[in-house]
Amino acid sequence: MKKIIGLACIVFTLQSCSVVKEYEKIALSDPDMVLAPRSVERFKTSFHAYRESASGAVGGKTGGGCGCN
Amino acid sequence: MNQNKAALMKNYSFILLFIFLSGTGYAQEEQQEAPQPYKKKVLEKMEIEFLSSYYLQEGENAAVSGGIGDEHLTDLTPTFVVSVPLNQDDVLSVDAGISAYTSASSSNINPFDGKNPANPFQASSGASSADLWAGINTSYSHSSDDRNNIWTGKLSAATEYDYFSLGFGGSYTRLFNEKNTEISINTTIFLDSWKLIYPIELRNFNSGEDREDFDISKYTITGNPNYNPQFKGFNDKKRNSYALGGSFSQILSKKFQGLLSVDVVRQEGLLSMPFQRVYFQDIADSFIEEFHLADDVERLPETRNKLALGANLNYYLNEFLVLRTHYRYYTDNWGIDSHTAKIELPVKLGHGFTVYPSYRYYTQTRSDYFAGYNKHLSTEKYYTSDYDLSEFNANQYGIGVNYTDIFTKFHLWHFGMKSIDLEYNRYDRNTSFNANILSAGFKFILD
Repeated sequence: MKKIIGLACIVFTLQSCSVVKEYEKIALSDPDMVLAPRSVERFKTSFHAYRESASGAVGGKTGGGCGCN
Repeated sequence: MNQNKAALMKNYSFILLFIFLSGTGYAQEEQQEAPQPYKKKVLEKMEIEFLSSYYLQEGENAAVSGGIGDEHLTDLTPTFVVSVPLNQDDVLSVDAGISAYTSASSSNINPFDGKNPANPFQASSGASSADLWAGINTSYSHSSDDRNNIWTGKLSAATEYDYFSLGFGGSYTRLFNEKNTEISINTTIFLDSWKLIYPIELRNFNSGEDREDFDISKYTITGNPNYNPQFKGFNDKKRNSYALGGSFSQILSKKFQGLLSVDVVRQEGLLSMPFQRVYFQDIADSFIEEFHLADDVERLPETRNKLALGANLNYYLNEFLVLRTHYRYYTDNWGIDSHTAKIELPVKLGHGFTVYPSYRYYTQTRSDYFAGYNKHLSTEKYYTSDYDLSEFNANQYGIGVNYTDIFTKFHLWHFGMKSIDLEYNRYDRNTSFNANILSAGFKFILD
């Protein structure tokens, strides 16, 4: 697990040396490339917070405020 | 001579005043007409989004009846999200919704108020069989002129019959490296307070402050007829949750970007559900009708520390396909470790339609405090039979469709419809539990 996270950090850091210009971001501007859940997915995230022990790191609730775990 | 001098002075004064005023006016004019750098509004027009879902779950491990019993639950959640641009830089969002649910297991907080004999697999028709949750979130965000700094403040409130929650928080986002890199930190605090509701048969035995009368003598007790639980209610009715999160996103190429995120949470106070029964194997069983009378309610530690690490990678395959992936590792000090992996493959069909097939896998280990129905010992300090804290894995399959009309041709009053989303997901655990959820979203933009 730690190795995977470490590797991801290294890849991110190395890649950050190259810069993609604004005019080159056509594909990145696609709505499906957004790095967050779509708004219609909020109910799934909510039911996962109730029915599963894990929460957080998905943009939803992390505990509290919902009568859930 | 003096008169001429005075007149001349007067003329000079007028000339000087004229020059001063002209200069001032010119300066003001120049100041007013100084070219301002063009700023695109953060949000061009007011947006309204109506979101709703219908949720249905089934299972046979209800926590209210100590790990056995009907988990049938339905939930309907209409929600409105309104986003208003206050000026070029500031946006106010209000997110308000309700959640109306019916629950077979909650109805068995008092299983003796129905028409049928009490049974954990039979829903009761009493007051706790249905409830309404209502919540409102407001957020205010400000973006700097170059859009590289974003500050957001949040305030929320939620209420249900047995709890009230107040939440507040904020976040700061910094973009740099020509907006190729983004770092964000956020914090949220929830202050929750509970109304303590215990299983009906325990209320009369409560040696704590909030004892309530329940005349158990009018029922026939079978099994061990000398039912006399040593029950004491909770002292603490508060639950505070403190969350600190951060994320780092990076554009990796013209078609590839990723995100790493972390959430650290500390919870304190009443973390047990006061209406969830526990049965001890070293105490003789007592029944009324077909319902096992509680030995106690779940008892969990008053603190919990959580850590979640997430990663998202999105790749633009071509103009028809995008690959979206997500992975999360979670751990807490209750002994639970979890892994979540999700893949989604949006397929663009043309004419504004996109289909979203998805698959999600989830697995978690058992909490140190979990054991199944009638498996705990009365000598333990902490115990629960809530299967949400048990070891399990789950598969979720989903399909969604989105229609986006960039010209907002369809109108409703002064609003043009921008998009429609529909989504269905099926969730199966390797236990008896399964769920279905149907979600919909309609987004409108003010003309």
